[in-house]
Amino acid sequence: MSANISMQQNSPAAAPPRSLWSLGWQRLKRDRVGYVSLWIVGVFALVAALVWTGLLAGNWNAEISEPNTSPLWVAHEKVAVTSGENELDGSTGPIIRLAAAEDPINQEMEAARKNAARYKTREIEKTDSLILGSDQRGRSVMQKVLQGTATSMLVGIFGALLSVLLGTLLGAFAGYFGRRTDDFLMWFYSVFTSVPDMLLLLAFAAVSGRGFTTLVLVLSFTSWTATFRLVRAEFMKQRSREYVQAADAIGASHLRRMFVHILPNISHLLLVQFSLLLVGLIKYEVILSFLGFGVGVKQVSWGSILGEVPNELLQGYWWQLLAVVLFMSTLVTAVSLLTDALRDALDPKVK
Amino acid sequence: MSEREILLSIRQLRVAFRQEDGGRFEALKGIDLDIPAHRTVALVGESGSGKSVTSMAIMRLLPQYGCEIDPASQVLFAGRDLLKATPAEMRALRGRDITMIFQEPMSSLNPVYTVGDQIAETLMLHEALSRSAAWQRAIELLQEVGLPDPEKRARAYPHQLSGGQQQRVMIAIAIACKPKLLIADEPTTALDVTIQKQILELLAGLQKKHGMSVLFITHDLGVVGEFADEVIVMRHGEIREQGSAQQVFEAPQDAYTRALIACRPSVAHRPERLAVIEDFLRPEPYVQPPERARGYAQDDAVALEVQGLCVNFDIREGLFRKRKFEAVKNVSFKLAKGRTLGIVGESGSGKTTVGLALMRLREVAAGKALFHGQDILAMNEREFMDYKRRIQIVFQNPYASLNPRFTVGSILTEPMQLHGIGANRAEREQLARELLDRVGLPARSMEKYAHEFSGGQRQRIAIARCLSLKPEILICDESVSALDVSVQAQVLNLLQDLQDEFGLSYLFISHDLAVVRHISDQVMVMNKGEVVEQADADSIYRAPASDYTRRLLASIPQGWSAAA
Amino acid sequence: MLAYILRRLWQMVPTLLGVMLLVFIVFNWVGGDPSYILAGKRLSPETLANIRTHLGLDKSMPEQFLLFVQQVLHFDFGPSWSTQQPVGGILAARVGPSLMLTGSLLVVELLTALPIAILVAYYRGKLVDRAVTIACTVAMSISSLVYIIVGQYVLAYKAGWFPVQGWDDDSILGAWLFYIPLPLLLGLAVSLAPSVRFYRSFVVEELNQDYVRTARAKGLSERVMLFKHVLRNALIPVVTAVTSSLPFLVLGSMLLERFFGIPGMGNELLLAVDKSDFPVIKAITITIAISTMVFNLLADVLYKWIDPRVELK
Repeated sequence: MSANISMQQNSPAAAPPRSLWSLGWQRLKRDRVGYVSLWIVGVFALVAALVWTGLLAGNWNAEISEPNTSPLWVAHEKVAVTSGENELDGSTGPIIRLAAAEDPINQEMEAARKNAARYKTREIEKTDSLILGSDQRGRSVMQKVLQGTATSMLVGIFGALLSVLLGTLLGAFAGYFGRRTDDFLMWFYSVFTSVPDMLLLLAFAAVSGRGFTTLVLVLSFTSWTATFRLVRAEFMKQRSREYVQAADAIGASHLRRMFVHILPNISHLLLVQFSLLLVGLIKYEVILSFLGFGVGVKQVSWGSILGEVPNELLQGYWWQLLAVVLFMSTLVTAVSLLTDALRDALDPKVK
Repeated sequence: MSEREILLSIRQLRVAFRQEDGGRFEALKGIDLDIPAHRTVALVGESGSGKSVTSMAIMRLLPQYGCEIDPASQVLFAGRDLLKATPAEMRALRGRDITMIFQEPMSSLNPVYTVGDQIAETLMLHEALSRSAAWQRAIELLQEVGLPDPEKRARAYPHQLSGGQQQRVMIAIAIACKPKLLIADEPTTALDVTIQKQILELLAGLQKKHGMSVLFITHDLGVVGEFADEVIVMRHGEIREQGSAQQVFEAPQDAYTRALIACRPSVAHRPERLAVIEDFLRPEPYVQPPERARGYAQDDAVALEVQGLCVNFDIREGLFRKRKFEAVKNVSFKLAKGRTLGIVGESGSGKTTVGLALMRLREVAAGKALFHGQDILAMNEREFMDYKRRIQIVFQNPYASLNPRFTVGSILTEPMQLHGIGANRAEREQLARELLDRVGLPARSMEKYAHEFSGGQRQRIAIARCLSLKPEILICDESVSALDVSVQAQVLNLLQDLQDEFGLSYLFISHDLAVVRHISDQVMVMNKGEVVEQADADSIYRAPASDYTRRLLASIPQGWSAAA
Repeated sequence: MLAYILRRLWQMVPTLLGVMLLVFIVFNWVGGDPSYILAGKRLSPETLANIRTHLGLDKSMPEQFLLFVQQVLHFDFGPSWSTQQPVGGILAARVGPSLMLTGSLLVVELLTALPIAILVAYYRGKLVDRAVTIACTVAMSISSLVYIIVGQYVLAYKAGWFPVQGWDDDSILGAWLFYIPLPLLLGLAVSLAPSVRFYRSFVVEELNQDYVRTARAKGLSERVMLFKHVLRNALIPVVTAVTSSLPFLVLGSMLLERFFGIPGMGNELLLAVDKSDFPVIKAITITIAISTMVFNLLADVLYKWIDPRVELK
């Protein structure tokens, strides 16, 4: 019956030609939720780009305020804060802090403190009207969380790109050539899937130290398997479709069939896979950085900010938590809704 | 006409679907029709005619969202309007008074329940039978629809039965509660001709025995001629003609109906050109063109000679074990230059594999294919590249054979570019425009994408793609099977014109015996990977030598004239 | 059936070999020379050489790999580098608490997520369905860390309804009744939304099948159609998905264990990664890999058992 409905006016009259991508774009624009999500993701990307180029929140490390100032819109909260500090005495926080000697970032912290002390003398006055308050060192939470947004997004975007690239390449060869190639790559795949993602991540993290590049590499090495499975299955399916056989009949080479004919036809799936991975990797990054296996000590990400939260909460400082949750859930919700919208809009069957 | 008792009548049925771009698509534009009691009514139409929408509207099974039924519409069954019945009333009616069978029996049955359970379910629901009584009755029903060993079959799961047997189970479910009306929506389209004949005979027999009405929905006029009492012809959501079968077939009033009857190739005669719908829409009357003579002589020049072709498939079982399946066994034939060799067979006969093997799209186990004195199957890729150009193929599914991400222009210029035809891009594009013109498409199609064309137009593009390489042999693998009859006639005429103009040799693979008879000079019949018989086209249809061919020919729907 | 299982077990050999190779490459090649970690601050050439001989690092790479394969086959990974206790003993003591937490979590999650998913699928397209779907998307967008941090702070620290953290080594029941409930609740809060969406997608997928149309054409009510025809089919992927997620039982809910001080495998793993305790990490990885393979096999066997279409070859 759906065939009946889709068989509408098919005459290629004067209407301008429309590629599948432009049709998908039209559908996405009609999907209100998806379109708004796209704008939100766009704004986040713009913010991240501004932060990377240093135009925004470049000054995040400066201690421009008294420590732990509450956000602008809850100025009277200060009283509650002091009582919170009293409560702290004697109670044990859930996170066991490392001793100073064991703390790998202790030296850097010292240096940073000295550095900061130098700046302090030059600072004229400290503001107490920050929209999202300040952290324990008096840095603007707003600038810090913007910086964290940029880091987390960058890790997510590069990790997802590399992961999709790896999964697509291996999946294309396995699915297209089949036989021995497939046997070998499937073995490779089964090895990686035998170890749960988080375990593999931690094992890599244990031996490779921390830092941005390492993190991106580790995340993509562990997350390529889902793309591999998808692309392999698609290539197996598409390989036997008639347009690919027709390409063979007119003399197109294997590589041409794989990457000129088949690949564009699964490109919409790759886009969806990319946005799924973006969300997944951002979440993984947050956990890894929280545990201290993520970005370097001089960088700030959502995860590393969350790492400060448990202790702050005990003292009643909740605004860093709020800031991270606000930014992270807005972006992740937008990307997730956009993913759903893309999946519907780009599906060539729903014409 | 004698007194008719009307079972179901549709008045001013208007159904529209909301489209995602905000527009509305009118699937039914206010139709009126009557289904008399104890009669078989055939609802015939091509795709997009609204015939399936009509049946779903009667059952009230149209999708809940995005579908609007005009409030003035009426579907009157035994005196009440089904469109105004409550869901509970409809449920009591469905499966008991009005039942339905569908095109795809495999997916229409629930895979995780036995067929006995699925028949018994209806009986327990509508007849309030106990479980054991319902099971007993289910076995009787399986017996009635002609399933061998019904006690054992009742405990089988759908996937353990063949397509024909699955459709018999669907029929058993449909007749379980002795319905007043059975709606059959393309029930034989997915089945082989021999199975189709059995199912049609079964339905006709059951209709007489139980005295129910049958609404038989199909795209194929040929199928309904033998057993429909009345025929309704639909097009674009409107009814073009309705009347007794005799009247519709012998004296059709509507031009479209006349065209539909005329444009289907028949086994009885072979006109020079098939009629197309436009022939009947002109004011001047349609004149039947003269017959075309077919056949070949022993001393005809040979374009392609195949000797002892064998193709095996490895079915992998587990990591190391393989099972060999012989898809094509020792097939030999000669294709005469400028003529057409038709290969017919049912599904699983290996006919398609022969075509693909000759294109080297399947690995060949043994055999030779001599083309200009060279065995093209023994060549390496580099040597074959030069010959590849000269043998081209047109596939069955016009929706799958064109890359959806390419413009028509790049679809047509890519083969030329790969084979160095045309000096530069501009020259190749000029050639492509000429090809489009040759297959009857406007030059502005160049910038368009495949999804912007209809099935017939896409098949023309696929043919143009083959022509771009100036081939000598064209393999047509079920190339017209997926098309509506009226479009099929146009494409068959085009293929004939191209053969006459360029002297192409065709290997025409099809399951449709009438189409093969129309286009072929020689015919080869295949069954289970083997050649059953090959001979001159006319003689094979006149005097088939083997039992299998006879059975196949006997299964062809005879249409009205033969039955009269 | 037996032949199938035997063949599948045989097919696990290359995979296990691959996992060992992966672990070996990660720890002996990417990780560099671990003797520096062991030597700590007493960095003299003699101690380094001693440690190298002891670990077999002076042998060639293939020999070292063979040594590692032997370790795996005997399930003897030597002593932990940080506590000097045998690794096997440590892991044996950690499995219990992990299973207690994640086992109960799995049961509770299935019992809540599955009914919600079915209900939502039943009302698909209606307001309830859209609201639940959006709520799930939003709930999934918040990091699991936030649920745990806030939950622990509010419910245990502020309200005092649950212990903040801890474990009872002596009484299983005591630990289960006293220390499990809060982590269980928070674990459920984290996993409910993704599970509901996941299970819903299975049910909705089945609702689009042709046999649903047949069921309606038979005159069955929506309820019977959903619970008899659709559910039976939708349960097939649910069962296999749940079975293949079982290895995570062994690993436990790492973050929950860490926050609540539960001495399980996940907590042990995090400690080991913190302290670069390679033998423990290796042992955990190999153990989990083996159990993943076994549970995947179990999932396949179960799949073939509940789906009549699949026949055992």
